[in-house]
Amino acid sequence: MAYGFEAKNDYGNIIINDTIENLHFIGKATRGSADSAYGDIPNYSGSNDTLDGRVVHTYTITCSGTPVAFIKPNDYSRWHSVIKQSVSGTTWTFEVMISGTSTSNPPDVYCFVNADDIPSSSETHGMQVFKSDGTTKTFDSRKQPLAITGGGTASAPPSDPTNSSGTPGTTSGHPWNYATNDHDFRSSNRYTEHSNSAANTSDAMFSCPSLAQACYKRQMHGFHQSCICYIFGWCACGYQDHWSTASWWVMYRNAFRLRSGKFDAGWTGYAAGYAFSSAYESGGWFGGGGGSYSSGTMPYTAKTINLQSNAYILADSSRYD
Amino acid sequence: MAHGLNVYKVDGSLGFSTADVTWQTIAQFTVAANATVANTYSEIAGMTVIAQRQLVNVPPAAQEDYVPNAVISNNSQTVTVSPQSGLSSSQCIIHVLAQDT
Repeated sequence: MAYGFEAKNDYGNIIINDTIENLHFIGKATRGSADSAYGDIPNYSGSNDTLDGRVVHTYTITCSGTPVAFIKPNDYSRWHSVIKQSVSGTTWTFEVMISGTSTSNPPDVYCFVNADDIPSSSETHGMQVFKSDGTTKTFDSRKQPLAITGGGTASAPPSDPTNSSGTPGTTSGHPWNYATNDHDFRSSNRYTEHSNSAANTSDAMFSCPSLAQACYKRQMHGFHQSCICYIFGWCACGYQDHWSTASWWVMYRNAFRLRSGKFDAGWTGYAAGYAFSSAYESGGWFGGGGGSYSSGTMPYTAKTINLQSNAYILADSSRYD
Repeated sequence: MAHGLNVYKVDGSLGFSTADVTWQTIAQFTVAANATVANTYSEIAGMTVIAQRQLVNVPPAAQEDYVPNAVISNNSQTVTVSPQSGLSSSQCIIHVLAQDT
């Protein structure tokens, strides 16, 4: 550079200059409503009913520019992710999902924007760095610049989000009205881990949007054929068929967890449902009939989408408290 | 620290230190749905570069929403964002970071 200011660290890496746009702390987003659900499969009771559960907390912040949101867990054992970021005018809304059903210990969301988008300061001391145009700010010591203490590329989580081996599918040949789920839809042991010395369970916070999502269903078809009437031990009036279908489904979102020295990319169930239908044909003196029940609908056919790596960044939240 | 810059808060505690920094924000931009955008940053030539993607205004569960690909090329100077092959892509914020290794 021919002029200006440049700061390097002990390793000679450029940290501040007139081209790098440092992010600065704009504040913590305000937490609003919380929606807790899916500790188990809705309206189903039986084997493999238990799910991981999830709580979605909604946060808002008003600012110029586009904020980068960091999640500071207050319960580091749970999985966290920003599953939706939206904007209306200059108000940004973040939906943050955490695993489990307890609304206690919600995370904090720290937001950062470019130096040029931070509000003006009345403080009279400090240092500002501008681009060569003389007006675009890249650094302002008065506004808590972001120090990214760690990060890298978080590989995608395993394509199968379910604890059971293999993804669930459809089988036939079950007894009529059989409805016992044999697939563990929880995700607690489905993740990829990344070593990073900046990861800890005291003050670390992370930014890593949720990209991957998945939807899977277990479906069982049951069948039974009964004789309408017997005469001298023979089925004399024909047969009557009975059908049933039971299905369980869960939709997942990519979520993340901080451990000491580790950053994990895994899954948390976002939505779930159960459906059952039973029918039998008419025959002889017996009219046909049946019934069905469904709690929710799968948002799309069974698959994993957006199974891609994404950049993750870590920082020390205590610097901004 | 032997080199660099520390910034202290009003209470005297450390607020920022170049000694702690591992990644730098280079740029942030938004790519419209189904668009292809290639941005070049000559100042990061040869650095390690990563691009973070965040979908915008996408409902969490109502439909299939696809994130665009982000590819780093041209000696790490160019970030190209484009839809996945054969798929439509949703609006996406791109956050470019570099590490001066």
